[in-house]
Parts: sequence; C-alpha cells; structure tokens
Amino acid sequence: MDVELQINNSASPDARFLTWSPSPCRVRMTNPSGATGPSVTVRITGASTASGGAVVFRSGTTGAFANSLSVPVPVNGTSMPFFVAGRFGRPSAGNGDVRIEARTGTTLVGSVSVMVRIRKNANGLSTAERDRFVAAFAQLNNQGLGRFADFRNMHTNVSSPQAHGAAGFLPWHRAYLLDLERELQAVDASVALPYWRFDRAAPNLFQLDFLGVSDSLGTVRLSNSNPLQFWRTDGVQGTNRRPFFNTGSAPPGLLSEIQTLALGTQYRAFRTMEGNPHGLAHTSFGGSISSIGSAARDPLFFLLHCNVDRLWAKWQRQNGRFNAAQAASYDPGSHPIGHNLPDTMWPWNGVTGNPRPPTAPGGALAASPTASAPGPQPTVRSTLDYQGAVGATARMGFDYDDVPF
Amino acid sequence: MLRDVSSTMAEPKFAALVDSIVADAGRRDELLTLLREDHALYRGRSAATIVRMRGWVLLALERAGVSDAALAFLLEELDTGVDPYLVAAAARALRSYRRPNAALAPFVMGALANIRYRDEPVSFDAYGVYAVSATGSSAVRELLATLAWLGPHAASAVPELEALRAPGGLPAKLRGDVERALQSVLGAPDPHDVAGTVSCCGPQVPMAAGGHRSEDIDSVLLEDHAGDRISFNAFFRGQPSIVVFFYTRCDNPLKCSLSVAKLAQAQQLLDAQGVADRIRTAAVTYDPAYDLPARLRVYGLDRGVRMDAGNRLFRAVTGNQAVQDHFGLGVNYVGSLVNRHRIELHILDAQTRIAASFERLRWDEREVVARAVEVLKATNSIPRLPIRRGRS
Amino acid sequence: MATKRKATKKATQTRKRGGSPRTASHRAVAVATSPRRSVKERTAAAAQSPLAVCESEKDFQAMLKVLCDTTEPVKVRLAALQSLQAASFSVLSFEGCRGDYIATLRQVAEDHDPELRQRALGMLMREKDGFAQKKLLEGLRDPDKALLPPEKALQLLSYDVHADAYEAARAIVRKPPNETARREALRLLAADATAAPLFERLLLDKNELREIRQIAASALYALRPERMQKHARDILMDRSDYDDIKATSLTALTQLGDETLPQDAALMKSVGRFSTGKTPPKYKQTARRFLSKYGQ
Repeated sequence: MDVELQINNSASPDARFLTWSPSPCRVRMTNPSGATGPSVTVRITGASTASGGAVVFRSGTTGAFANSLSVPVPVNGTSMPFFVAGRFGRPSAGNGDVRIEARTGTTLVGSVSVMVRIRKNANGLSTAERDRFVAAFAQLNNQGLGRFADFRNMHTNVSSPQAHGAAGFLPWHRAYLLDLERELQAVDASVALPYWRFDRAAPNLFQLDFLGVSDSLGTVRLSNSNPLQFWRTDGVQGTNRRPFFNTGSAPPGLLSEIQTLALGTQYRAFRTMEGNPHGLAHTSFGGSISSIGSAARDPLFFLLHCNVDRLWAKWQRQNGRFNAAQAASYDPGSHPIGHNLPDTMWPWNGVTGNPRPPTAPGGALAASPTASAPGPQPTVRSTLDYQGAVGATARMGFDYDDVPF
Repeated sequence: MLRDVSSTMAEPKFAALVDSIVADAGRRDELLTLLREDHALYRGRSAATIVRMRGWVLLALERAGVSDAALAFLLEELDTGVDPYLVAAAARALRSYRRPNAALAPFVMGALANIRYRDEPVSFDAYGVYAVSATGSSAVRELLATLAWLGPHAASAVPELEALRAPGGLPAKLRGDVERALQSVLGAPDPHDVAGTVSCCGPQVPMAAGGHRSEDIDSVLLEDHAGDRISFNAFFRGQPSIVVFFYTRCDNPLKCSLSVAKLAQAQQLLDAQGVADRIRTAAVTYDPAYDLPARLRVYGLDRGVRMDAGNRLFRAVTGNQAVQDHFGLGVNYVGSLVNRHRIELHILDAQTRIAASFERLRWDEREVVARAVEVLKATNSIPRLPIRRGRS
Repeated sequence: MATKRKATKKATQTRKRGGSPRTASHRAVAVATSPRRSVKERTAAAAQSPLAVCESEKDFQAMLKVLCDTTEPVKVRLAALQSLQAASFSVLSFEGCRGDYIATLRQVAEDHDPELRQRALGMLMREKDGFAQKKLLEGLRDPDKALLPPEKALQLLSYDVHADAYEAARAIVRKPPNETARREALRLLAADATAAPLFERLLLDKNELREIRQIAASALYALRPERMQKHARDILMDRSDYDDIKATSLTALTQLGDETLPQDAALMKSVGRFSTGKTPPKYKQTARRFLSKYGQ
C-alpha cells in the first residue's frame, strides 16, 4: 500500500517548505493493495532529527495543532486535505531535515522530507546556513550581472518616493524583501533571508566569512573563500561600510525592540519607526548603506530591512493587526500614490512615467511554489496578512523565528 | 575661434570664452556648437565638470536670447535632465525664448516631477560656484518661475499645480512660488499674444536623414550579446533597422535604461504589425570596452528586449570611431567611459543610410515604428541577406 | 518572560508619559539643541529626533543650526548630523528640507573637524554632488587643498564612476603616498575597462600583497572574465602559489567557470590535492564546494 503526500497541495519537491503558518496539504492512496474497505485510516506524523525542524498537524483551517493526525483516506484515490505547520521554536537547520510520514498501523506507506524554512537572526546562523545564504546572495549578484541588479535599481533616489516617508514604507519593503528572498530560493531553496537584529550585538555578522570586516577607512574586507568578494554594484567593486560603533556591540541610540513595539498600537504611530530605529540603523555607518540612493548596494541593507519587517510582524502579532479592514492596521486617510491600501506597488505593477518612476526593473513579483500570495502585482493591502491569519490564502510563505502564528 | 579650443582648456577660460561669445551678437550661434556633446572641449572631462560647463552655456542662452534651434537643448534638459543645476539653468533660459507657448508647459511640469525630490540650491552668481545656502534659487523655483512666465499658455497644468499647492503637495516654503505660478496661469490671456507654434516641441519630429555614410563603417566588426561577431553590413544591410545607443553604466534612468526598455516596446509593436521579421532592431553600446557580451545580454534581458538573429545588442569590437562618425553620435568620453551623451535613435534604410533620427527628446515608440514602416515601404528591396550566426 | 513583560510595561509607560512618538520626538529636539544639557543627554536625544526633524521646519532648522555651529561640541554636532541623515530617508516628508540640508553639507564639508568633513563629503559624494567631487579632486592634485587623506578621497570618488578620478588613481598607483591609498586607487581603477592589463600583472605577482591580489582577481573577473578563468586555473595548478589566492581563484571558478572545467583533469587533480593535506580547513571547504559543483 502506498500513499502520496502533497505539501502545499503540490507533488513538487520545490513546494516542500513550511513556515509557522499552516500549509494546505493532501494525502491520497496511490496503491491500495492490502486495503479491505473503502478507506484506510492513515496516521500522519513528523520525524525530526535532534537539531532539525519539527512539524505539527491539524485537519482543518481552525483548531488546535497536534503532533499527529489520523486521516481516513479513500482507496479510490480521492485526495484528503490536512494542514501542516512548523512547530514554533523548531525551525529546520537544513533542507529536508524533517520528514512527514504516513503509516497504517506500524507500516510506513508514504513519506516526504520537508524543511521548516524560517527567517532567523543572522547572528545565530550556523556555519552551513551562513555559507548557503552568502553563496546564494553572491550568485544572485554574479559580479553585477545577476538578477540582483534589478533589486539594486528598485531602491534608488529616483524611486524613493514609492517607498519612503509615507504609510507604504513597511508594505513596500515587505514585498521587496519577499521578491528578493524568492529569487535567492531559486538559487538555493534552503535559503531564507536572515535579519540583522540591530538593537543587539551581532558580532558574527561582521566577520570575514559573512558580511565582512571594515577597516578604518570603511573598506569591507572579506575572506578569500567568501563568494561576496566578487560583489559588484553600479560597475563598482566591493562595499564601503564604516561602522560608527564597535561591531561587537549594538549601535547606540537605536530604539530597542521593546521600545519600538511600544511606539503605539495604531499603525500611524508604529510606522514612525522609519526614523528610529530604521533610519538610525542606516546612519550608524558611513558608506553606501547610510544614504537612501546607495543603500541597496550593501548586502547588509537587506538584513537590516528584514529586521524592520520582523518588528512590524511582531507588532502585528502583538496587536492583532493583520486585517486591513481595521483602521488600526494601517494609516487611514489619503496618501501619495503607492501608499494607499488599494494601490498596486511599483515596480511590480509595471507602471512607469510620472507619478511613478520612468522604468520598472525586475518585472512582476517572483512566484513561489509554496504560496500564491501576494501575487505578481501586490497591493499595499495584500502585504498585511502575511501569515494568512485573516484569510488562509493570504499566507506568503515566510515567517520569523520569534514571531509565532 | 572655436576651432582652437581643446579638452585642456581650463574652466575659467571656458567661462570667459562663453561670456565673450554672448557679448558679440554676431557669434551667438556658436553657443549651440558648444552644446554639442561631442565637442572637443568636453573630451576627458568628468560628468560633473560638463554639468558646470553646459550649465554656463545654457545661462548664456538666457542672456543671448533663445532661438528655435537652441530650444531643443533646453527642452532636452527639461525632458530628461536629472541634475538640478542644468534643469534650473534650462528653466531660466527658457524665459528668454521669444514668446511663451502652450507646447512648453508639459516639459516644465515633467521636469518638476523629475527633479522635485532631488532638488538642490543652485547659484548663478559666477561660473562653477555651488550654493552653500538655500536662500537663493533651485531647479523647482526656476521651473515655477517659468510656469509663471508661461501664464495662461500653461492652462493644461492647472490641475497639477493645484495639487502641488494643496496639503501634501510641494513643501510649504514653496507655496508662494506655486501660488504665483498658479495665479499667472489662471490670469486672463494677453489679447495681443499671438498663439505661435514651436516646431520642435510637439510630437518628436524625425530629423531629416543626416550623418554621412562613411566607408569605414563597412569595416566595423560588431559583437553581440551572445558573443557572436558580425560585420556592420552583414547585420544592417538588406533591411531597415531601428538602432538605439546606450551604455550599461548610464546613471540617468530617463536616458539609456528607458531607451532600451522602450526598444522592447517597439519590438512588440513591430510584432503586432507583422513586420518584426522585416525590420531589425539593435542597441549599440557607447562603451564597448566595458560592455562585454554578458553585460549586454543581462541589460537587455532586464529590460524585456527580445534578442535573436534580427534583434541584438552590440558592441563595436573594431571601428567604434567609424560608428560614431557614421551616426554623428552625440557622445563624449573621459578615458574610455562616457561622460555625456544625448538620447538618440536612428532608423537605417536597407542600404544602411540614416533615413530618420530621433534625438535629444524621449521618443514615442509608436512614432518610431510608424516611421520605420514607412522606410520599409519605401525600400527598393535588396534581396534579404540571411544573417549567419557565428564568427565572421 | 517576566523581565520582558516588565520591560514592555516600562516602555509603554515611558511612551505614554512622553505622549505620542511625534510629541516625544519634538521634546527630544528641544533637549538635543539645548546648550544647557550635557553632551551625553544631547546625543541621546538627537537619536530620537529624526521624526520631528522631517515633520517640523522649526525642529529641522534647530538641528541644522547645531550642526553648523562650530562652537558646539563635535559629538553633539555629529549626533545632529546623524539625526538629519536618518530623517532624510523619509523622502516625501523631507522634501522641504533637502535644499537646506545639501547646502549645509557643503558648508560642513570644509569644517575644521576632520570627522565632520569626512561624513559630509561622503554623504555628498553618494548624491554625486559636483561640489564634493571638485573639492576631492582638487585635494588629490594639490595636497595643500586636501580636505581628506588621499585614500579616503579616492574611496569617496569611487561612488561615481563618472567622477574622472582615474588619472589621479593611476598616478597614486605609480607613486603611492601609502599602501592604503594604493589599494583604494586600485579599487577605483577596477571600474576602468582599460586597466585590465594592470590587474592581470598584479594578480600574477606572487610578491604582491595578498589583499591587492584579491582586488586584482575581482577586478579582472569583471573586466576580462575569460582571462580570470585562465589565470585562476594557472594559479590552482601552481604548487608554489599561496593558499589564499587559490581560494579566491576557486571561488571565482565556482561562480564563473563554464561546463568545460570538469574535462580539465589536471585542474581537477590540483583542486583535489588542495582539498586535502595541509590546506587550511576553510579553504578545503572552498575546494569541496568547487568539486561538488562540477560533479567530482
């Protein structure tokens, strides 16, 4: 007897990635030999390695999760739905380090290897995780010839009004990071964008084998085995980044996470974090990252913004702010183009010419085999419910290690 | 006099030269010569130096009066300029044109949209002086003053101006300038004002066939985005072609990046009209030493350009100067790097002669395609030569 | 968890006492710009000021005044600069401030304090400001007019490939005032297509500093990738060359190498040797990544 397990409702191995948000799955009988009735009860469990991810199950879109689930599977091949999610606090360390197994009695009748792929604190990455991320990022840059050029060109002085200084600052950057992360996953599916938690010391980040060590001039040095040594943007080699603080500590003056989350329970108050800690994090350095038009030339920029997004995600979870219909979830009123809830966002909407920038690099937002949201041309509204907390299909396929579902 | 100037002329001397030209009513046309991108004076200069130099010439036009021929340079700066000093100088000089005209308003409003978040204080006190205080002028201030000069001729801009005046529009410190512009625009038209036309400001008018067909062009060897080499004639002879010029390190998104993206749009229009296999397209880099095939390919891919035997991105492996001469390119260099260029698109006929050119202003792909189709229809077909891929 | 709840409560209470973030930020500007407060208080307050700076013309001007005031402590002026720079990220709200901001940066670019000069010039160069470029190039030509050391001037000029610093960079490579200046000159020249032969020479020179060879490898990779592939191979085959440049070569080939590499038995053998023996563990891993990519 054999059953097929489909994760994210897909038989493709590319879809076998989970977050804390429940993923829709299916089980169906592919070989009913030995079955005696119209259906067989299949017990689905997770099998984890000691340091690997762990998963939980539930049968529907609501209800508690459990370590296992019993599903009656028809012998005629009809698919039966169920849901699986990563167990909060147990992300994977590598691709396929947790298995989902289906048994009848004690007999294994089907299994797939999955990954609980979660955005983690960059300072705590394992060597393997760090190296995979760095290799994928360097590949995406491909010494200036890779898809990264589009991401650089999305964040310039010309385009800055689309994403800064108004309500859409957080939604735009959420979509931007997601687009980049999906492109990284096209290079290496096991990669999730890590975050630089800037209110804490992150000494592991500023090392030769990761984002580099800056000399007194601000020239970033990298080890001879670090693929980022070939990083090139705007036709210029390398990165300039001069910390105004000891990288063994956190930059001074930034609002702590607790202070940031306490800015207010209304989005209008929370988004003032654009100045501090976001702006202060950028300007805790000299170099590319400290000016809006050049910031995306530094790989650290993406880890900085991943933390900004994580803070938003945490604030959303803390205050229940996933529903765009609630005024407190977003800034009410009229905003410049690209910053209103129903607005599609440049560049993914392909709209060019005043009041949008003259070109739209990168095309539509990258698709993912694990989630259909937010779609190729996301609206501001579509970025709020990233976990599918309000509508299950709004789930975007990413989560943070310390923000539960 | 201008024959004797060179790329080593010191900037103060250049400024004095410009001033002397302005002072001599019989020489003022020489100012337009100084605005040609390929002028020897600009060779070997940084882009920022050229901004200072060109800005001074534009300000000289303000003093000398702006002819129809000079207008093209001003409108170019308003259309695609990203440097506040040049935009400010162009806006200021425009007010010395013989009379305001409604066709000028979209350029001024477009420049306002381009520059407002990148504006800077500018100084016109003397050559090469940078403002260290914001109490003087800026590109936005000059543009608003030019709108005021346009007066009722800028009536089409009223909705935008009202939006700029409203909360969330231009900053409060500019409200006075906006108000003045709006009041002038809403004012009664001067009954003595004769509505004129401006020949260069409407839809881009394809220039008459220009350039000179150099025999050296026959020896130019091109390399495309796939690394395949082909002679100029082997690609371009036999069918009309649309050719744009660009380089991958252009940092003005309104020029090269947009031109190549629009070439992709033009390709789609050719396809829609069923002539894609009868009109070729090419984008040729100004920067052949740096823009190697991989770089060309990625640049085209990122902008949606179709690349195949009849549609290519090229660099000149040999004969880059011949390419410049053949097309009369408006480009100059510091070392091997481009320091200034204009927008240019040329349509070649089947004999590789330039049949039409679209220069300086952003071109409309529909007009370009329409013109190219006209050239196709007018072509006495030479039997179409198949393009062979591979080394030649 | 209890500690976290306590800290959250405290932060919320602090916020409520301070009012909204906007109110708190306005108050912070008042502290940051008050000469009666200590340097420590003022720099801490400046960090909380960006919101007010971009939303209030009065607060913005007050912060600018502190930045321009050469009698103020440098730390306070630097904090004011950082606050203004952070505010500038809010492009839409900062629009009205930009003119004064740029003008002030140009003033500060010639300040008596070297750190302030360096930061202001860096910020201007990232905007491709002609004023800053002119000053830096003048300084390279005439050291008496230099606002920054040559290595820093070169680094900042590299933000704009159109800045025409190539001649100055070449002169410094020929006759470097110090090694850092030479390094920055080479980094800048990596954008010059005609400099490929120079980088080839540097890459192959075993007496050259390792950092310079690494820069040369990266530059050649961008300017003449086929030459880099050839030299990377030669370096890997050369038993007398250093492990670090071999690691760089391997990394380059892992990214850039074409599908013919696995057929190069001698190269594969050399890399295999490199992946074992006395090679440092980190570089062994680099070799194993290469071999894994090419199916060995």
